[in-house]
Amino acid sequence: MQSGAVRHDRVKYAFIWPAFLIVLVISIFPLIYALTVSFQSVRLVPPIPPRFVGLDNYAEILSSGRFWGSTWTTASIVFMSVALQYVFGFVIALALHHNVRGSSLYRVVFLLPMFIAPVCVALIARMVFHPYLGPVNDAMNLFGFVNIPFLTEAPLAIMVLVVIETWQWTPFVTLLMLAGLQGLPGEVFEAARVDDIGPWRRFWDLTFPMLLPLSVAVIFIRLVEGFKIIDTVFVLTGGGPGTATETLTLFAYNEGFKKFNLGMTSALSFVFLIVVIVFGTVYLALAQRLTRRYA
Amino acid sequence: MENRTLRGLGLGLCLIWLFFSFFPLYWVFVTAFKPPLAVSQGATYIPFIDFRPTLQAFRDALSGIRGDFFGPIASSVMISLVATALSVFLGSMAAYALVRFQFRIRLLSGLTFGIISIGGFVLLNGTFDITVPYALLIVLVLALVASIYVNRLPLPGPVLGNNDVTFWFVSQRMFPPIVSAFALFLLYAEVGRAGLPLLDSFLGMVLAYTAFGLPFAVWLMRDFLSTVPVEVEEAAQVDNIGRIRIFFQIVLPMSLPGLLATSMIVLAFIWNEFLFALLLTTGDWQTLPILIAGQNSSRGDEWWAISVAALIAIVPMVIVAAILGRMMRSGLLSGSIK
Repeated sequence: MQSGAVRHDRVKYAFIWPAFLIVLVISIFPLIYALTVSFQSVRLVPPIPPRFVGLDNYAEILSSGRFWGSTWTTASIVFMSVALQYVFGFVIALALHHNVRGSSLYRVVFLLPMFIAPVCVALIARMVFHPYLGPVNDAMNLFGFVNIPFLTEAPLAIMVLVVIETWQWTPFVTLLMLAGLQGLPGEVFEAARVDDIGPWRRFWDLTFPMLLPLSVAVIFIRLVEGFKIIDTVFVLTGGGPGTATETLTLFAYNEGFKKFNLGMTSALSFVFLIVVIVFGTVYLALAQRLTRRYA
Repeated sequence: MENRTLRGLGLGLCLIWLFFSFFPLYWVFVTAFKPPLAVSQGATYIPFIDFRPTLQAFRDALSGIRGDFFGPIASSVMISLVATALSVFLGSMAAYALVRFQFRIRLLSGLTFGIISIGGFVLLNGTFDITVPYALLIVLVLALVASIYVNRLPLPGPVLGNNDVTFWFVSQRMFPPIVSAFALFLLYAEVGRAGLPLLDSFLGMVLAYTAFGLPFAVWLMRDFLSTVPVEVEEAAQVDNIGRIRIFFQIVLPMSLPGLLATSMIVLAFIWNEFLFALLLTTGDWQTLPILIAGQNSSRGDEWWAISVAALIAIVPMVIVAAILGRMMRSGLLSGSIK
């Protein structure tokens, strides 16, 4: 990187500008327009000319129960599923790392869920969790339980969403934690084994602290990605019953495309952005303190 | 002794997880071959024992009596291939620049850009009544020129380097996508009013997905390209071969596995993407995920048809996952995942 770098090579701009311009024009620049729209009252149906309303949209969002409800729903799905993903993903990575029988087979099958479109996963889940015709309730009957309406009762539907997210994204955690495990220095673990330190202590005193920075990053990625959830919910419950499983993104979409309230949706997406930024900053600050205590 | 119990537990968990991951896929696969009765009379599991498999659902789907399948498949294939190619290509170029050259960007220059673009837009659009697309275009050019000029001045304040530029690219992924998708929808609608239809068009979707894929491409390709030895390039430079030719004729061919892996990952993300397609398409260029999401309400409990639709979207991704799995086993990806 250093050798050719010091010279003033103008050609470097030719390399970076196309990508830079596309991201700037497509991802960043529309935000400016959306930001101005978020301070206006814009309705497509009935069409009213845009009117500047200041912070009204934001005030309305913060005082609406539906916003807080969807925030709560999103947060509970994300936190529960990421916790499960991390625990299962890490344990499976450990098992694979220690070459459990048949681990090469698992590697491919375990990867698969990650690559399947969330809408497909949700459709499959709809079939699998069907109250009468689905295999899960079939198995329940076999063991003498009654049929459970998984998708029409809010807490159950949220649990199903957590299961789906865990099913789909645990492989991601496994993949990264496995890469991390393979990068650990082998000598330390050899030495610990020679000193007759049990596997439990070896994990908590060596593996876990050494992988803490990676864990922090992996959990961060999963949390940020998890907050975006819309497709699964859109197909599985459509946000229902009522608005009990509505997530933030789905709420914003519904405001914009069912009520055609563009100003509100813009404002909502910016509130969402602020929530993610604040949350990310707090998380990273806390994580840094935690890593420092271990290091 | 303790080790053996742990091994047993690990194997047990892996087997349970194998079942847990595999069962839903098995279910959608067999359901696609079920006749209607095998669905509506309760759960059936094993073909030839529980039910007699049939290809009827596939025939129905392909003959088009259940709505147009080929349109969304064709648009999904075209949009995702072109957008993947573009974003991996442009992303590799940007990543190469980030690996081999040094960038110094003043924070003040970035601030100038932000202030001029937001302030200028409000002024032009609000006060002078210039329509949104033109106002944005004027502001974009002005803000870029101004910030490049400011970057040349010897001003105080922090200077951002290559890592910050990479972070700028990657940070696009941290945004909730509804923010940019919705903003893009508003912008496309305005551009459409000015005469260039971007909503529900090939160009609009490819642009959106190229921008969507670029952060991954830059991030992954930066790691792959940094493993290409500098010496080869330096030898070529001694022979007075230009940077662009070096990039195309030496660097890209040398990082072919990395390019392939990156393309697969970006392709998977674009192929499965839902929100942008939901907001930016209405009919002609609808992609597969939108079609599949619609199956739910239009089909009710016709699971055989739903399964066929889902399988069409899943099969290409199974191939992608298999390719990546093989590359992973050969140790190619272990270096890039950090």
